[in-house]
Amino acid sequence: MRKKFLSVLLSAAMMTTLVTGCASSSGNEQSTTAGKTPQTETTTAAPTAEKVTLKWAIWDKESTAYWQALADEYEATHQNVTIDMVDLGSTDYMTVLATELSGSGTEFDVVTIKDVPGYATLVQKNAIRPLDDYIKADGVDLTKYSGVTDQVTVNGSLYELPFRNDFWVLFYNKDIFDAAGVDYPTNDMTFEEYDALARKVTKTDFGNQVYGAHYHTWRSAVQLFGVLDGKHSILDGEYGFFADYYNMVLNQEKDGVCRKYTDLKTEGLHYSAAFSGGDVAMLNMGSWFIATMITNLANGEYDSSLCGNWGIVKYPHAEGVEAGSTLGTITGLAVTTATDTPDAAWDFVKWVSGEEGAKVMAETGNFPAIMTDEAMSIITSLDGFPKDEASKEALTVSNLYLEVPYAENVSEINSAIDSYHGSIMSGEMTVEEGIAAMEEAVKAIKNK
Amino acid sequence: MAKTKSKSRHDLTKRVILYAILIIIAVIMAIPFIWMLSASIKADREVFQMDPFVLIPKNPKWSNYAKIWTKIPMLTFVKNTVFLTIVVTLLQLFTSSFAAYAFAKLRFKFRNGLFLAYIATIAMPWQVYMVPQFLMMRSFGLNDKLLAIICLQAFSAFGVFMMKQFYEGIPDELSEAARIDGMTEYQIYSHIMLPLSKPALSTLTIFTFVNTWNDYLGPLIYLKSVDKKTIQLGLKMFISQYSSDYGLIMAGSVLSLIPVIIVFMCLQKYFVEGVASTGLKG
Amino acid sequence: MSEKKIAEINMLQSQLDELIAKVCSGIEDKKEEKKCLSRIEKLRRTISKMRSGSKLSRDFKRDIISYSFIAPNFIGFAVFTLIPIVFAFALAFLKWDGSNAIEFMGLKNFKRLGSDVFFKAAFKNTIIYCVGTVPLTMIASLALAIILNQKVRGRAIFRTLSFFPYVGSLVAVTSVWKMLFHPSKGPINSILYHVFNVPLDKLPQWFSGGLVLLSLILFSVWKYMGYYMVIYLAGLQGISGELYEAGSLDGANTWQKFRYITWPQLRSTTFFVVVMLTINCFKVYDIAVMLAGGGSGELTTSSTVLVYYIYQKAFVDWDLGYSSAVAMVLFAIVLLVTIVQFAYQKKTSD
Repeated sequence: MRKKFLSVLLSAAMMTTLVTGCASSSGNEQSTTAGKTPQTETTTAAPTAEKVTLKWAIWDKESTAYWQALADEYEATHQNVTIDMVDLGSTDYMTVLATELSGSGTEFDVVTIKDVPGYATLVQKNAIRPLDDYIKADGVDLTKYSGVTDQVTVNGSLYELPFRNDFWVLFYNKDIFDAAGVDYPTNDMTFEEYDALARKVTKTDFGNQVYGAHYHTWRSAVQLFGVLDGKHSILDGEYGFFADYYNMVLNQEKDGVCRKYTDLKTEGLHYSAAFSGGDVAMLNMGSWFIATMITNLANGEYDSSLCGNWGIVKYPHAEGVEAGSTLGTITGLAVTTATDTPDAAWDFVKWVSGEEGAKVMAETGNFPAIMTDEAMSIITSLDGFPKDEASKEALTVSNLYLEVPYAENVSEINSAIDSYHGSIMSGEMTVEEGIAAMEEAVKAIKNK
Repeated sequence: MAKTKSKSRHDLTKRVILYAILIIIAVIMAIPFIWMLSASIKADREVFQMDPFVLIPKNPKWSNYAKIWTKIPMLTFVKNTVFLTIVVTLLQLFTSSFAAYAFAKLRFKFRNGLFLAYIATIAMPWQVYMVPQFLMMRSFGLNDKLLAIICLQAFSAFGVFMMKQFYEGIPDELSEAARIDGMTEYQIYSHIMLPLSKPALSTLTIFTFVNTWNDYLGPLIYLKSVDKKTIQLGLKMFISQYSSDYGLIMAGSVLSLIPVIIVFMCLQKYFVEGVASTGLKG
Repeated sequence: MSEKKIAEINMLQSQLDELIAKVCSGIEDKKEEKKCLSRIEKLRRTISKMRSGSKLSRDFKRDIISYSFIAPNFIGFAVFTLIPIVFAFALAFLKWDGSNAIEFMGLKNFKRLGSDVFFKAAFKNTIIYCVGTVPLTMIASLALAIILNQKVRGRAIFRTLSFFPYVGSLVAVTSVWKMLFHPSKGPINSILYHVFNVPLDKLPQWFSGGLVLLSLILFSVWKYMGYYMVIYLAGLQGISGELYEAGSLDGANTWQKFRYITWPQLRSTTFFVVVMLTINCFKVYDIAVMLAGGGSGELTTSSTVLVYYIYQKAFVDWDLGYSSAVAMVLFAIVLLVTIVQFAYQKKTSD
């Protein structure tokens, strides 16, 4: 009884501050309870509707072309709607967003979901709405998203619609291979072949180093080679399958094939700076980097004499696994629980994730979640996309595994293996110790 | 005679050692700043060149200082930070000296209890209560508003504590005499105490100015939109996007240091005196 | 005024006079004296209240004036600091993610700490960091203050210079340190390699593994010694010159003068410096993240600190109750250390 009293008292006190705050914040009256039942009958934005402003959370507005393009295009076809973008920056985006959506005081209507751990957090906090009723009412065909929506379905409900679907490929610098007289990487390479190739083009002479490979400091860049056989996932709790890939990368590091993790960490080197510097032969990275390369080479930000002659191929694969298996990262849109214009917000989400949005995405060199042949041909025929056939071929994916699928504890698991990835890569722990520590930490999280 | 000679020689060696130590310390203190200045006018590939190391490159890239203003909205960041710092510092000076006067010179109910509340929070790291604080602030509609940082920084316990120590050092006779002359407490505060507290106020100004100008975590949590961000956030944002543009990063860093250093130089005359008189020394 | 009331006032008045007489004649026991004084104060208040009747008493007026002085600061302080602190205390016994219903956890959050490897690592690292930083900073700043208290040429310049690191912003200063100590390109390792012939694979990795805490400590000493130097400088200026003259007459050398004059005279300054240093050291966060943070800003078990873990648990995992529990541990240590220092200070000064 006493316990209950205390918690009631506390939440009451908290609520009072919340309520008084809501009243004092200008023009932000919203009822959180009313929002829980979507009024599906008015889903299609009525053309005569009064003016609506949708506040939309995004990141890196200056360096990412599609946000503005999407907003402009939507506003042009929906005269009554104004899209108000708020740039939260990419570094701590999901943390900042989750903070923003805590409690009930947010002003955001639509939010962009950057990764699955962050998505899990928002779903658990009831910060975003289930979209099932809307999806049913408007007859959205989820099969168009080629199965990725299944991996982020929570207890039968979907809380986001993906609009961008990136997958990892291998970028390479043709000039380096030409200079070394080595054949280009191909669309069908095993890891042994890939490793040998990286070593062949490496030059360790001081002052003129050429790195055969480059791995960004994210754990995805190393660990997730291991999930491509479709038998493992980072939620497993057993991580023995990481070992071979850690050993491969650490050996490369030792032999000067790739930059040292500790150096990268100290200088915070961005992978784009590494690749555009012209001394990296191969870089495994998400397909979003294609748009970055095209734009920055066109506007002169990157020196085309250093990295202008580039190409892409499919991810290398383990022995016995089909070529074209790769990792996917989806970017989605969600409607906040707190919005007072859920229908208008949903309409925007549906539009961006639908075919109209897909076209805008493709035109800016990005991969829409609905990958139509039309979108594909728009991207491959973009000015600045590599001209060779292999690069076009590289975009066909056979198996796509999400970097992180949904799970209840995914955010904590993610933090734990992130931390031990750092320990292994910086030599604080051996590969075996690091993996054992990961397994122990994840076990503790699951048993909590 | 001989004794004084040996003594003066002894003094001389002592002085030589003293200066040697001083110069070593000065070098340790200054090297990072010299490196910062030097790197800020270098091209990226020159920054780490050690053989030979040049302090000023042959073709200094002064353009770094111009470029930083266009690469990130530096002007907005500077404006926000200047605004925040000035408002916070003024509020801090006014409210804490006002409250400290009462704590030091007036007797009233719950005086000790209230003061204890201030003292206890000095030992409480901000991170301990930043989450509830954030939720509360946001419910006041202060999220993503510069006002949030003002509320956060302007009422620190440290300011009150420091000013109280200072006022306690001023003899009571002074205010007693004024009271007999029929001055109100407000007049005593403004006509007698305030003019006396120049050193303490200068010290508090330096502390508050430096803290607000350099604060990182507070603005990170509260200020989300780019047009609200401060220099520190902007600089960090720039570093994560252009990690290898060392020249630009250093130019930005140098710019971010200038205002604090100017304030410090202007007030340092009172500084040691201020610390001495506020009883911070214990 | 009724007669009954007047009689009552007279009675109280006589009690008061009696007490005053007792105090004036002198009381041996200090405690007893204090007791009497507080009773006098109380009686005086009651009497004045009764005399003035319904009108505002003088005490009340005085309180109002005092509160008007405190109010501008106190209201802000209470709303933005005190209330959140109370919430933070309560949170440690609850489970809350900032949005959903609150659950009562009792001591479960605290029990969880025992089996949490990340917490244990953070705890250990924080302690090591403090144990290293506090004495080093204290010694360095005291030495610096003593040197800069002498009559040396360019004293003002040296003082200003040693305050620079404190004034410089962390973002700017850490990025310079990371350049200077860059494991393969930085000038420090370059010198080790070229001048001291340290082999390439033996060059120190300043920001990871076993060295990371040492780097954090060295950085903190560098950054904050100027600040504490000023406090010591103020303390030194409070020592009367006559003491040193007397010391010289007795033939004391430099060390003896320090040992028997400077050090004891600075005891309260040292106390203040150590308390402030300890509190600030336990709060370490941005230094660790900015110097040792990895690709996603994460700290490994060799560099994680308590406040980082508090932040992580609160703003990334949204386990606010657990995060608060860690925060309470932090608060408890700070409190404990401060109390011990107070006790020690009191014991040695008596």
